[in-house]
Amino acid sequence: MKLLIIEDERGLRENITTYFNEDGNICESCSDLGSAMDKLAMYEYDCILLDIGLPDGEGFAVLDYLKAKMKSESVIIISARNSLDDKIRGLNIGADDYLTKPFHLAELKARVVAVFRRKTGNSKGMLVFNEISIDLQGRTVAVNDIPIILTRKEYEMLIYFIANKGKVVSKTALAEHLWGDQMDMHSQFDFIYTHIKNLRKKILEANGADYLTSVYGIGYKFAAQ
Amino acid sequence: MKLSAQYNKTSIIISVSVLFVGAIIYFFTIKYIARSQLDNNLAEEVDGIVHYVKLNQQLPKQVDFDEDQVIFIKTDKKTLQRRFFDTVYSNPKERKVEAGRGVTSLVALNGDYYKTTIIVSREDTEYLVQIIGVITLGLVVGLLLILSLANRYFLNGLWKPFYDLLQQIKIFNISEDKNFKLAKGKIDEFIELGTAIDSMSARVRSDYQNLKHFTDNASHEMLTPLAVITSKLDIVIQHEKLPPEIYEQIEDIYIATGKLSRLNQTLLLLTKIENNLIDDREFLDMEILLAAKIKLFQELIEAKNISVVEKLLVKRVSASEYLMDILLNNLISNAIRHNKDYGELRITIDDKEMLFQNTGTPTALNKETIFERFKKGSKSEGTGLGLTLVENICKFYGWEISYDYIDELHSFKIVF
Repeated sequence: MKLLIIEDERGLRENITTYFNEDGNICESCSDLGSAMDKLAMYEYDCILLDIGLPDGEGFAVLDYLKAKMKSESVIIISARNSLDDKIRGLNIGADDYLTKPFHLAELKARVVAVFRRKTGNSKGMLVFNEISIDLQGRTVAVNDIPIILTRKEYEMLIYFIANKGKVVSKTALAEHLWGDQMDMHSQFDFIYTHIKNLRKKILEANGADYLTSVYGIGYKFAAQ
Repeated sequence: MKLSAQYNKTSIIISVSVLFVGAIIYFFTIKYIARSQLDNNLAEEVDGIVHYVKLNQQLPKQVDFDEDQVIFIKTDKKTLQRRFFDTVYSNPKERKVEAGRGVTSLVALNGDYYKTTIIVSREDTEYLVQIIGVITLGLVVGLLLILSLANRYFLNGLWKPFYDLLQQIKIFNISEDKNFKLAKGKIDEFIELGTAIDSMSARVRSDYQNLKHFTDNASHEMLTPLAVITSKLDIVIQHEKLPPEIYEQIEDIYIATGKLSRLNQTLLLLTKIENNLIDDREFLDMEILLAAKIKLFQELIEAKNISVVEKLLVKRVSASEYLMDILLNNLISNAIRHNKDYGELRITIDDKEMLFQNTGTPTALNKETIFERFKKGSKSEGTGLGLTLVENICKFYGWEISYDYIDELHSFKIVF
């Protein structure tokens, strides 16, 4: 997957690059509208992460440009502005998703993977991770071709973990993904523990490998051993 | 009371009292003048009689005096002070009694003295006074009429630019970029007032715009560093070689960062609501939204073994779905968070009101301060803005929210 990160905040740009620059992904980044336009004119990307408030103009210009040139890059807007107008405007002129700052890198990764999956158009809508295969349309999961029944939260969790495979995912990131930011964290952590325990048990019962490990109480990691 | 009415009242009271006092003085003066005129005439007549007696050595006949009544009475007195007096006069022609004025004096004839009394009718002077009185009264009435008409039409016209300005101030909307139509006319005060209001509103508007931009920018500037912190932590935890205490610290930083970002977003939302910047009303079925929300919180409800009693009747409102979501979220999550294990949560909605009742701490909360900013319970993990937000949303739609502690239940009631 080839990504272009258009973000003027250096720290954030670098972190996104570090987080994404693995398993064959190529990340390029720039900090203003001018250089973004130059890059877009020269190269093709799979996905663009776009900040709206850039020093030399609004990020919406990138969307207008892509539309005018009939380019097929997926765009995820990452903005500090949580206004409905901006969201609607961005999605209307071709953005695929809208993420409000601050966000967890795991959340961003999950969104990018989802957008990329939709774009590459896996016609059967199947997501396969080793012996686990997920039918994304029917929302059913099978391990070693044995169907397992997951609750909605467990299913969402599994998709989230697969998108962030090999990464330590913090409990706060998980909680925000599953419940939004409405409830307070402490009560959610207990639920996360229960959901993880059940998910792990269900995979193991179907003779799946033990992919989930707990990391010092801060979070969980989903990885092939 | 309107200024013109007050002005009218004052001017009418003053003119009426001046005219009244004037009329009294006027009346007595005229009466005095008329009387002295009559007395002069009578004195002349007495002198005439004396002159006549001296000339003719006899008393004049009644016929010589036209309609004046003259009576001569022989008297022994040698001296008699001339005296004027009010009396009655009987008119021989019209056979009626009228007000009269008389004089008595002494007339000497051939060594005899006669007390002479002349009485004349006062009718004419009375009549004159009456005519003058009527004319004066007419003048007063006319004056008052003209005064009040002038006040009504002329003064109201004079104040029109003021009322125009007032109307514009009343509909003044700070977020609308519309200039004041300045008062037309020649009145310096109103022109000055209009200019002052116009420049003031321009200043207020630009301050408001600045503030709006500031809040926008502040939000952006604050959230970006928060995003950096969060992403840095996301990278740091990938290490897996850090000592466990560090992970504990990191988790606390995560939680604090999350809280800070929620706080920031809530404050921004409050500002938006207070400045009427949310404008996406649609018809919503509250009972359906409520049922969906209760389902969403099912996990939390079950974790605390809270029994939920729902009584949801149809209620349709016109509001922003976004704000209703926040409203219900806050009320329900509060009712669960501050509930006790095996507690109770009653949710009722009907056409008139929405009611959230929950068990919890067995003491009533402070009704006065519960909706204030940053007021929160000692055990609360929230931002302290939840109920403020709820109150503001209710105010925004003109609903009334109140807290009460009845039968060991904390109740929040919204009256639509």
